[in-house]
Amino acid sequence: MVALQRMGPNLQLIEGDAQQLAGMIAFTCSLAENVSSKVRQLDLAKNRLYQAIQRADDILDLKFCMDGVQTALRGEDYEQAAAHIHRYLSLDKSVIELSRQGKEGGIIDANLKLLQESEQRLKAIVTEKFDTAMKQGDLPQVERFFKIFPLLGLHEEGLSKFSEYLCKQVAKKAEENLQLVMGTDMSDRRAAVIFADTLTLLFEGIARVVETHQPIVETYYGPGRLYTLIKHLQGECDQQVEKVVEKFVKERDYHRQFQQVQNSMMRSSAEKIEPRELDPILTEVTLMNARSELYLRFIKRRITADFEVGDSMAPEEVKQEHQKQLDKLLNNCLLSCTMQELIGYYITMEQYFMRETVNKAVAMDSYEKGQLTSSMVDDVFYIVKKCIGRALSSSSIDCLCAMINHSTTELESDFREVLYNKLKQGFPATTFQDFQRGVTSAVNIMHSSLQQGKFDTKGIESTDEAKQSFLVTLNNVEVCSENIMTLKKTLESDCAKLLSQGFGGEQAQAKIESCLSDMAAVSNKFRDLLQEGVSDLNNTAIKPQVKPWINLFLSISHSIEEEEFSEYEANDPWVQQFIVHLEQQMTEFKAGLSPVIYDNLTGLMTSLIATELEKVLLKSSFNRLGGLQFDKELRSLIAYLTTVTTWTIRDKFARLSQIATILNLERVTEILDYWGPNSGPLTWRLTPAEVRRVLGLRKDFRDEDIKRLRL
Amino acid sequence: MSMEDYDFLFKIVLIGNAGVGKTCLVRRFTQGLFPPGQGATIGVDFMIKTVEINGEKVKLQIWDTAGQERFRSITQSYYRSANALILTYDITCEESFRCLPEWLREIEQYASNKVITVLVGNKIDLADKREVSQQRAAEFSEAQDMYYLETSAKESDNVEKLFLDLACRLISEARQNTLVNNVSSPLPGEGKSISYLTCCNFN
Repeated sequence: MVALQRMGPNLQLIEGDAQQLAGMIAFTCSLAENVSSKVRQLDLAKNRLYQAIQRADDILDLKFCMDGVQTALRGEDYEQAAAHIHRYLSLDKSVIELSRQGKEGGIIDANLKLLQESEQRLKAIVTEKFDTAMKQGDLPQVERFFKIFPLLGLHEEGLSKFSEYLCKQVAKKAEENLQLVMGTDMSDRRAAVIFADTLTLLFEGIARVVETHQPIVETYYGPGRLYTLIKHLQGECDQQVEKVVEKFVKERDYHRQFQQVQNSMMRSSAEKIEPRELDPILTEVTLMNARSELYLRFIKRRITADFEVGDSMAPEEVKQEHQKQLDKLLNNCLLSCTMQELIGYYITMEQYFMRETVNKAVAMDSYEKGQLTSSMVDDVFYIVKKCIGRALSSSSIDCLCAMINHSTTELESDFREVLYNKLKQGFPATTFQDFQRGVTSAVNIMHSSLQQGKFDTKGIESTDEAKQSFLVTLNNVEVCSENIMTLKKTLESDCAKLLSQGFGGEQAQAKIESCLSDMAAVSNKFRDLLQEGVSDLNNTAIKPQVKPWINLFLSISHSIEEEEFSEYEANDPWVQQFIVHLEQQMTEFKAGLSPVIYDNLTGLMTSLIATELEKVLLKSSFNRLGGLQFDKELRSLIAYLTTVTTWTIRDKFARLSQIATILNLERVTEILDYWGPNSGPLTWRLTPAEVRRVLGLRKDFRDEDIKRLRL
Repeated sequence: MSMEDYDFLFKIVLIGNAGVGKTCLVRRFTQGLFPPGQGATIGVDFMIKTVEINGEKVKLQIWDTAGQERFRSITQSYYRSANALILTYDITCEESFRCLPEWLREIEQYASNKVITVLVGNKIDLADKREVSQQRAAEFSEAQDMYYLETSAKESDNVEKLFLDLACRLISEARQNTLVNNVSSPLPGEGKSISYLTCCNFN
């Protein structure tokens, strides 16, 4: 309380100070307000002054322009005159209005009228002079007046006139080139692609025109104008392309050939065109399209770059509008449409070429001794590669995808069918069955020959040939499956190259990938066919042989005494002979099949042996020594089979090995040393019931003991 | 393939005269857009949309083909691998309807015999300009044993239904095929209970 009272006077002092401070701030504030309003007034005055000066300058300029134009026109200095007009045109219109309201309004009006007249006169003169220069082909004069147009605000007209001049140049050159083509000797080195060459010259000519004149357009007309120039040029290009293509169609008989191809695709009876005759024209068309794509890509890049500079500050809508205009130009120009039409015909003809040539390769199929495959596989893939390669060389992604699709169809339906039918004839069985088959086929042949009234000698194939044919076909199927994957990989890298050069739209990659993955799926279909063929071979050629050999096991007693056991040791009763038989049988396949297929076949064979042997075992009876004998036999067999295949035999023979173990037991209860908690690393493949059954095969084991076992 | 994130993959190809609205149907379904002033399609366009039907991811590969004659040999090459074809006409354009038999001949010639074909009359938003009555189209589709639907890509009418019903249809077809071909060994990941009978109704 005391402290507070003591602070009383101090507070009064502070209040006084604060009031004084507030007064000072208010004063400073109004002072600043005063000063800044003066400055603002000053600023306004300064701006008005500048405007006044500007306006005075403009009026002076106007006067200067009026005088200047007259002088320049009189002196035929059109650049100077245009510069004056340009100055006049860029003046603020209100200045002109203002000056007319001045004291000397009347004079200025007159002068202004003069100026406008001069503008009109200059426009007329420039146009006329330009036309004359164009007629005379006087490039320096053409360029001289071309530069004047934009000064007069006539950008579009200037570009259009200049394009007209350039188009004439292009047309003249194109005319000459076409004349040259018509005079070309058919023996000329380039005769086969002369129309593609002509198009190339045309495109190169236009590209050169663009290259040469782009700088002058950019400099005098500003960026973003190239589109207009090229649009005009494209009109001329279209006309010239039309002429060249017309000649091409006529000279090469393109439409008639297409018609004929289409007829024979629809009806097999129609007169067929020799596919080889189509070869050159197909190459030429793809080349023509490749050139067009290259050219279109060139103008696309140029216009896009020019728009980018011109539209750098423009709003998004303008940019999109320009992009749309460009797309429209590229997509709708006659050049694009004409090429699309030619490529449309090309695809059908290429498809025909592929189909017919593949058929030919199949018909002329031949096989050389010592080879695993026959000629048609290499031939067919050579053809398919060639056709797709040609489609690829057109640089058209849609054309390429279409041919990939057609190739997929050709391989999957037609060619696979050929191989499938060959496999369906089967691998001829030997010996007795062979005889049977021979009889039936002879009867069949008799029947058919009676019906047809002639004897078909092709029907009688020697067994050896039929066998070989089957094995070769299996190899063919495998190679097909591999070739498709190789082809896919090659195409992938080829396409990547094409795409990296900027050909194709946004979805080009996805389209190609999808078509190629369809093609890859065909590889699996060939693999399935191979699997079917190999298991057919196993069933028809191996099983009927192996089964009797295994059945021989039944005739060998496995309830034997010491004496017989030694006898068996000296003269093996079964397994050695069995191995020899297998060895003999497989030699044929080893020589005739590719390593992969052979391995596949031996895999099936070992499974077969394991199953069949088990069946036979369960029909036999054993004693202790017999079990030992079987164990020896099984070991020999496994040892042999391990040498002929890369498959793991141990797994397939796991059940048999376990059976052998059981058959080798001293007493029934000994099984418990291997069973359940005592099995150690061994995984039993036999169920308890099966174990009992196998134990039962041992005639020296008592049934009660087996029944008593707890498994 | 098994690494990819879908249970089924189907190829759908749209065909029909130029200007009937194939591209707009595809755009509407895949991007939810109706681009006015759509230019003619060049060759073929390719879009992908993955949809979920009864908890299963179905990847639809949609090929939008050019209707113009000069692209015919390109578009024909896609028929054979197509699981479904959407044959489109414009209900305000008699000509596009009259061309249908020609398109059916093409399908007959090039497509697989297992292909599912849907007939679609597009542009029902332009009802006052209709030239092809619903009844005529329904009779035609019945005679040809095709599914039939009217759509508007602009108003987004029936577009979703078109593709989703088709997807359902394709799933049940695919299942039946696996059942017929591989009775003993279902495809990996297909051991789930089959409830396709209740999955959809197609009209």
